[in-house]
Formats: sequence, structure tokens, C-alpha cells
Amino acid sequence: MEIVSDSSSPSKTKDIDGLLANVGYKVRSSELHQVAQNLERLESAIVNSSSDISQFASDTVHYDPSDIGNWVDNLLSEFDHTASLPYDFSQLPDLSAPPPQHHHHQSSSTVNNVEEDSAIKLVHMLMTCADSVQRGNLSLAGSLIEGMQGLLANMNTNSGIGKVAGYFIDALNRRIFGQNNVSHQVSLYENDVLYHHYYEACPYLKFAHFTANQAILEAFNGHDCVHVIDFNLMHGLQWPALIQALALRPGGPPFLRLTGIGPPSPDDRDNLREIGLRLAELARSVNVRFAFRGVAAWRLEDVKPWMLQVSSKEAVAVNSIFQLHRLLGSESDSNYHSGIEMVLGWIRSLNPKIVTVVEQEANHNENGFMERFTEALHYYSTVFDSLEACPVEPDKAMAEMYLQREICNVVCCEGPARVERHEPLVKWKERLGKAGFRPLHLGSNAFKQASMLLTLFSAEGYCVEENQGSLTLGWHSRPLIAASAWQAVPLLDAETLRFDC
Amino acid sequence: MRRHKRAKKTNIIDINMAGSNEVNLNESKSVVPLNTWVLISNFKLAYNLLRRADGTFNRELAEFLDRKVPANTIPVDGVFSFDHVDRNSGLFNRVYQPAPENVTTWGIIELEKPLSTTEIVPVIIFFHGGSFSHSSANSAIYDTFCRRLVSMCKAVVVSVNYRRSPEHRYPCAYEDGWNALNWVKSRTWLQSGKDSKVYAYMAGDSSGGNIAHHVAVRAAEEDVEVLGNILLHPLFGGEKRTESEKKLDGKYFVRLQDRDWYWRAFLPEGEDRDHPACNPFGPKGKSLVGLKFPKSLVCVAGLDLLQDWQLEYVEGLENSDQDVKLLYLKEATIGFYFLPNNDHFYCLMNEINTFVHPNC
Repeated sequence: MEIVSDSSSPSKTKDIDGLLANVGYKVRSSELHQVAQNLERLESAIVNSSSDISQFASDTVHYDPSDIGNWVDNLLSEFDHTASLPYDFSQLPDLSAPPPQHHHHQSSSTVNNVEEDSAIKLVHMLMTCADSVQRGNLSLAGSLIEGMQGLLANMNTNSGIGKVAGYFIDALNRRIFGQNNVSHQVSLYENDVLYHHYYEACPYLKFAHFTANQAILEAFNGHDCVHVIDFNLMHGLQWPALIQALALRPGGPPFLRLTGIGPPSPDDRDNLREIGLRLAELARSVNVRFAFRGVAAWRLEDVKPWMLQVSSKEAVAVNSIFQLHRLLGSESDSNYHSGIEMVLGWIRSLNPKIVTVVEQEANHNENGFMERFTEALHYYSTVFDSLEACPVEPDKAMAEMYLQREICNVVCCEGPARVERHEPLVKWKERLGKAGFRPLHLGSNAFKQASMLLTLFSAEGYCVEENQGSLTLGWHSRPLIAASAWQAVPLLDAETLRFDC
Repeated sequence: MRRHKRAKKTNIIDINMAGSNEVNLNESKSVVPLNTWVLISNFKLAYNLLRRADGTFNRELAEFLDRKVPANTIPVDGVFSFDHVDRNSGLFNRVYQPAPENVTTWGIIELEKPLSTTEIVPVIIFFHGGSFSHSSANSAIYDTFCRRLVSMCKAVVVSVNYRRSPEHRYPCAYEDGWNALNWVKSRTWLQSGKDSKVYAYMAGDSSGGNIAHHVAVRAAEEDVEVLGNILLHPLFGGEKRTESEKKLDGKYFVRLQDRDWYWRAFLPEGEDRDHPACNPFGPKGKSLVGLKFPKSLVCVAGLDLLQDWQLEYVEGLENSDQDVKLLYLKEATIGFYFLPNNDHFYCLMNEINTFVHPNC
């Protein structure tokens, strides 16, 4: 994995060649000559060598192709290095993977012209309804809802726009009739069940776990004591794979501690402990020394770093899958720290070796209702579209319910009750940069393996993309979730830790 | 039918050729701005890494290296975009339109009303280049180019994400192009003018230009109206080696052996470069005499080693009594239109503008 230093000073960003930036590349104008020279050097080296260039390219791990300078430098040093070494074929990953299975998913509805017209009308009415809600014209909004429900009655609501629209109409309905801030009440047990089916029905969670694990594994290289802090343990589905990968590590596994954060269990149960026991059992079976601690908290803001008992001898990985955005709506504390600032602050105080962050690639946190509604409609239409490729029930139906709660939260709720405050990666980069983190780039090997993961799914249409060191998983041309990795910028001597441990 | 004299072959090459076989990178550096040189050289390098000697292609690494951008329904610099995915094929078209004047409608895609009931709004179906193997409709270089086309030529652009070789050889790209043309022609929301029809043009650079030609032939044969074809240094070739190929091989970013690789990857196995897909007016080609073929604007870059083929193409159109205008840019290299930092770019945009607004 490549560590990149943070170069966010204003004079440096102004120097970036604007025309190249418009076509996806970051090169400083002042460095164009040097980059050009290196391109020439590399070209000469390749022309004059007898090596198989395509093999070399396959074996090299590439990072952030948008940074041409670094990309070329990396190739130059790899080329210089490998050109003189004999090939060790046993180390090469298996590149001749069989071509992906092409199961074309049959759309369950053939859309005839009448359907298409209804679909267009429906979307228009949804927008108009959302607009009326924003303006406070609730009677118009209400009558539009009736109109839309009428339209829906004559449409296919099992798939496509009919299904998604149904959820949005329902959400608008709740908002209008005063059910704001009463988020779809669902018990913890129900939440667990829906989550599990969502995990099975589509690759989003698997991709998140897989990519984060890959990054964590690499970060833990060379460390004998490692500590993973999971911001949302749920069923601990992410961890068996990491435990097994650590077990197989050349040189032997480290001592692994896992701290799982999750809500307190109802009744006398201790769900966190149960998951911990299961993971301990697995670890024992593969000879990985393992210790588990559960931290029960309703909200991440309530977790204090001392609860995590991090020792300075450990390499720490903080893992946040779809959790950070929930902090964006909480109010500032008495020291004027917003929830996110506070939590990012104490994460940094743990001096983690790596922070893995996976978030929805969407802008669902605008203050304007119309903007949020429109964004959400586009986003969830795409997600639901991808779900239609899932052939397995009841996974698919449950996954839809899982998403429906998100939709409801985005559309109906305001203030602290609105927790689904998704923001795109570009905003997270800014926040994490300001909080003292620098990017750890995910490279082409992670990309390659994520792509292979996708071929296990029957649906064509999912795609992995590289985005300046992060990886996104999307449906067709729309990225839907973004995975990134971070490291704390070392504190200077003059800085003190502001947060009580 | 207007005819334009084509440039005499003796005017084409006006550069001092040292006759060396070595790659002389300094020549290309002196004819393009430095950032353009870095951009195209970077592509050249990346592409070298992706082609394998056995004819296979490292698609995974290609997708990793390609810079992509999502569509954006919110206008940026006066242009917004959205993707339409065909459920059956899984392919998408990216539609680019000028921003609506009414800011409150930003973000909402209009699919009921036509583009205009009074004015004519040309719809340019665009096929991106990449020698049939590289790039996508959502590649940053092409997304940016299509946006510029919209704002500078006051047109709607539909960029087609056709299937690429070597995974999908001839005729897949042409079929995808044909389907895209029919899709565009049948969208009521792409209609304009008092007679409510879709004013369709086709355009493409490199392999995209080749696709535009072949789709236009089929359109003419099947009576689907295309108002014009715009080909930017289109990808054509043949078995013989032309003068420009011999003299410019390796001098301006492109090597002949690379061109050969892409044809082997695209054409049906066992076929050579005189296959009509590659050489439409060659020994296996056919005449277009009598066909209602659209008027063509063919832009040839004077430093492109393929120019002799492109000029033969222009000649072939003329010999078939078709309307063709040649825009010969003597000092342009391939890819001059990716960055708006040279006169060729603006010259081209002006020509395209005039081409798609013939009555203005």
C-alpha cells in the first residue's frame, strides 16, 4: 500500500494544470517538464529492454493513476528493480482467471410505451410533490400523493421505477402527515435480520468488508500485536476472512485483538459477547491468538477512547463501515466540537496504523429538501435497479426493506433523528484531511481482487472504479459506495492531544 | 452537392524526415503544448502496458488506469448529463444537454417535452475513440470533450458506450452504434423544430469515426435519416503500407505495429486489413453510389500516420458522388482536440458548429 503525504497547502493546489485536471489528471505546472522527462526515460527503458512489458505491468502494483508523476516514478523504480531479477513465477498471482460468467438478468417487466409514459409522469409528480413539501404547501402535496398512488395502481410495482417510487411516495406521506423524526421504528432484532439479508442480496457490504480487510492486512504487515476496532460489529461478518488471512500470513499470525462497538442488547442478552465468542472459536481453530472486547453504546459519540484500551505497542486499525455519516447530524458539545470532529479527534489520538472508511457515494446531507430528495431518488433508483439482478428470495425483499428505512430517514427526518447523512468521498477527504489524516492509497491488487469478487455474482452491471487512491463500487456508470483508507499524520511535538482519554 | 478539393498528396508531408528508425520523441514535443504532450504520452505508455503479444488485452488494468467521471444532472459550466442504461444489453448512452434556463428545474431530467418546438437542436451521436479497445463513454477525456461540443456547438450529444475488442470483435461496435442511432431517433424528448423530428448527426474520433461511417452506411441502406457525419482522424487502414505510414511511423505518438495490433484485435480472426470494416473503399470495399449517405466532415491531422488512408476515404466518398468536406490540419497530431490549448481545437469546433447548423 502506498502512503501519500498530505499536500493541501493553497499555493500547491493552485499550481495544478487546470486542463489536465479537467481530464482526470493531477500534475503541477511546475513539474510538467520533469514528468515529461520521466515519461521519456521510461519509454526508452521499455524500448531497450527485452522484458515482457505486459507481464511487468500486470505484476506491478499501481496506485492512483491520476497522479501521473508518481505513477511513472513508481514504474521506473519497479522497472529498474525487476529488469535485473530473474522471474520467480511462484510468486505471481493467478492472472488467468476464467472469464466472468455472463448471466444476463432478465428484466422482470417488459416496459411498453404506456408504462414508460406512466413512469415519466410519476417522476414528475414526485418532484412536484417534493417541491410543494419544501414550500410548505401541504394540501397540494397531499393531493399529489393521492394522484401518484392512483398512477401506481395501474403500474408494475414489482420492479423498476414503480417500486422505488412507491417507497418515496410512502416517505413523503409520512413527512407530510407529521411523522417526522419518528423514524421507521424497527427493533434491533429486525434490524439484524434485514442487515443479514442485505448482506446476502447484493455485493455492497461484501465489497466494503473485502476492501477494508485487504487494506488492514497490508497495514498489519510486520506487526505482532494488532488491534482492530470495529465501529459497528453487527454479526461480525467482516472478521472471519481477516482472521483466516492473518492465520496464513507468512511468518505466522499476530496476536489479534478485536473491539466491537454496538448497541446495548435488550433483556439479559449480550449480543456483542456472543459474536465475540464465535469469532474466538474460529480464531482458536486456525491458531490465531485472539481476544475480544465488546463496547456497548447507542451512539459513537458516547464511546470514549479509554473504553477501547488501546496499548501503545499495538498496531491499531479503526474500521468504519457506513458509520461516520451518522455523526454529521449530532449537535456540538459544550466545547463546540461537533460529533464528527470529536470522534475523528479521538480516533487520531489512538494513533491508528490505518483507518478504513466505507461510505455511500451520495450527497444526502444538503439542507435543502428538494436537493436531498432528488439526489436520493436518483441514488436509490440505481441501487434498486442493481438489486433486481438478485435472484434469491427472501434476501431481495428484505434487502429492499433495509434500504427503505434509509430512504425514509433521508426523506422524513430532520435534526438529530436524521442519521442517514451520506456525503460523497470528496467531502470525506476534506473532513479527514482537516482532522489530521492522510490518504493511504488502495492499489491495483485490491482493485483486481474486488473485480474478481464481483464475478462471483450473477449480475453483470456492477463495476469497480479507481478514484485517486480509493475504490468505488457502482452499478453501471454510477459509483454507489466508496472505500478509502487513512493514516494519522504524526503529531508535531508542539501539538497536544486535546481530547481526554 | 458541394465538393471540395482535397489537399494534394505532395502537401501532406512538409516536415524534415531524418529517415531514422529510432523513436525521436523530441519531434512530437516541439509541435504540441507540454501538457498535451504529457497527456498523450501518458496514454501511449499505458496502452503499451495493456496490449499483450498474444493478442489479449489486460482489461482489468485498463479499467483501473482509465479516469472515469459519473454523469451529473446538475449543470456544470452550462452542461448537464445523465446516463440511460439499456436493460437488455447493459450498455449505456450518456446524454449531454445545455442547462435549462430555469434554475429550479436543475437536476430534473425532462423526458416528456421535445428540446424545442421552434428551433432546431442538432443531436450528435458520438462514438469515442480508443482504437476499438480503449476508453468508455464515461472516460474523463471524452466526457469533457462532449461537454465542450454541447456548449460550443449548441447541440445535444449522446455518447455511446459500445462494446470493445478484443472481447467483442467486429461487428459488435457497429451493432451497438446502430442500436444507439435508432434509440436516439425514437426519443420524443430529442425532437426539435417545427416539424418535431430528431435532427441526428453522428460523430467520432479514431475508431469512433470508423463506427460512424459504417453505421451511416447501414442507415442509408435502411432509410434512416442521418443529417451528417463528423469524423475526427477516423481509424481506417489496409494491407499496403502508405507513404505517410512509412514516414511518420513512431514520430508522433503512434507506431504502425500498434495499429496492426488493434486491427487484429477487432477484425474477425483470420481477416486482414483489407476487410471492408478497415478499408471501406479498398479491394473488398463497396461503392456508395446512389446511396442517400449523409454529408461528411472529415478532419485529418497532418501529423497522423494514418492520413493517407483518411484521404483515400475522402476520395472514396467523392468517387461515390457523396458530399464531403475535408478539414486538413497540417500541424495537428492525433488527440489535438482533447485540450482546448491550440488553434486546431477552435478551428475544428467552428467547423462542427457550422456543419450542424447549416441554415445559420
